[in-house]
Amino acid sequence: MKISKKLYSYYLIWPALLIYSIFFVIPAITGLYYSFTDWRLDRESIIFIGWDNFERIFSDKTLLLALKNTFIFAVVTVIGKNLLGIALAVALNMKLKSKNILRAIFYSPSILSVLVISIVFTPMLRSDGTINRVLDAIGLHSLNQAWLTDPSIVIWTIAAVSIWQHVGFQMAIYLAGLQSISKDYYEAATIDGAGSWRSFRSITLPLLLPAININLMLTLIGGLKVFSEVFVLTGGGPGNASQVVGTIILRSFGEGSWGLGTAVNTLLFAVVTIIAIPLLIFMRRKEVSE
Amino acid sequence: MSYSRKMAWRNYLVEGFLILSSLLIILPLLIMVFGSFMTSSEVLKFSLRLPDKWIFSNYAEVFREGGLGRAFLNGLLITSISSILNIVTSSAASFILVRRETKWSGFLYMFFFMGLIAPMSTITTIRVVQWMGFYGSISSVILIYASLNTAFSVFLYSGFIRSIPKALDEVAFLEGANTFDVFLKIVTPLIVPVNATVAIMVFMSVWNDITIPLYFLTDSSDWTMPLSVYNFYGKYSRDWNLIFADLVLTSLPVLILYLFCQKYIVSGLTAGAVKG
Repeated sequence: MKISKKLYSYYLIWPALLIYSIFFVIPAITGLYYSFTDWRLDRESIIFIGWDNFERIFSDKTLLLALKNTFIFAVVTVIGKNLLGIALAVALNMKLKSKNILRAIFYSPSILSVLVISIVFTPMLRSDGTINRVLDAIGLHSLNQAWLTDPSIVIWTIAAVSIWQHVGFQMAIYLAGLQSISKDYYEAATIDGAGSWRSFRSITLPLLLPAININLMLTLIGGLKVFSEVFVLTGGGPGNASQVVGTIILRSFGEGSWGLGTAVNTLLFAVVTIIAIPLLIFMRRKEVSE
Repeated sequence: MSYSRKMAWRNYLVEGFLILSSLLIILPLLIMVFGSFMTSSEVLKFSLRLPDKWIFSNYAEVFREGGLGRAFLNGLLITSISSILNIVTSSAASFILVRRETKWSGFLYMFFFMGLIAPMSTITTIRVVQWMGFYGSISSVILIYASLNTAFSVFLYSGFIRSIPKALDEVAFLEGANTFDVFLKIVTPLIVPVNATVAIMVFMSVWNDITIPLYFLTDSSDWTMPLSVYNFYGKYSRDWNLIFADLVLTSLPVLILYLFCQKYIVSGLTAGAVKG
């Protein structure tokens, strides 16, 4: 034990630690300070103003809507990507003739840029676009929507596009998890007379917990950081109906109100941490007890 | 017999349903690919059909008008250097983090892990880069990408290195090797599959990103492909055939990379994320 401490010298950590600290940690920490200032691009002096930025965030309708939209997007995509991801993984783990090609198809959109997918969907989501025309053609005219221009559904549409694109990535992680479960468990369960639902609940789900854990974290954190989808699909519109924290930060950056922008970022940081850390601890504990 | 026949039926049912749902994924992508070969008036229906006449010159036009040659090289430069930098630094750091079982290394692991959770603070990062005097440069963007991916890479590497027996290192130490030798000659060959996974993951996320160039590349001649495509999309909003060709072109590099390296993606994710 003593030998190992001396032999594994710390200097191999330094390059990663330096790059990570300078370009990620220091900005995060200084951001904490700047969120309590009136830092503006067009002014020389930076004055400490206490909680003013945060009070402004919580009294500004657009900023509040952006927070709400960010939450809706995160929750909807976490549920959609994980439920569909597990379902796809379980189905594609069965003995199917076309499983390899199907896996590749479902995975393929997630390797493309969000920009590509968002631009492809833009014309299809118009009122006279492909999706509404298909709905008409199969007799579901009543489901027609102004997908990207109706303020009450636009954030849901953006979430749906994101689920469409990334569900294959979650599926791949779940498949990897499923393949690490030994077949013996299922054989034993079949002999004991367990049906497929019972096996799924008592064997698959518990043993899949590490994969569920990592997927919940990835989708939740990714969801709260949403930016590109909204930026390309709507730019935050119509009006401000689909603004999210990420687009608000870009806007404050463009307007030169940098103090406010960093305050919004700090708030996002706090929210992500408050949600993610207990979830992480909870999931780790569950995993260990299995 | 009847049980296995029931299973077979269920499999056919599931397979049929999956094939139908896979159309939901394929069709939008096919609309893009077929549309990229159409005339600008034919493409405007945005429905799934083969082009009346395949117009390959759309691609040449986009390549010329969109300045894609330059953007491709920028993307290749930024993506490859930041991937390599990230691989070398993260794997070396993870090796020590996993092997030294002290409180301090446990703390450092959490310190890196926070990077998975915390969102990037864009505006203050600009401030730091300005202060260092290279805001707007390609090298600043390379370092930012390397730092942004550190957390995920350390997470993947640590999971994998933990499964390599420590006894291997100990033998080498007894023969008089130092930390660096052990890392280079023993650990590096064993983590080649994870290197491949990290390389692909970083390459894809950097190649596809628009956020960092949007904030950090002030000169459009430094832009990567997706941001050039976004710019083109704004300018040529009527010519959807050209926009689609542009989208296909920016997707090709990652698609080719994926086809050659797909086995590493899943195996690496299994080793690092699921078991780790």
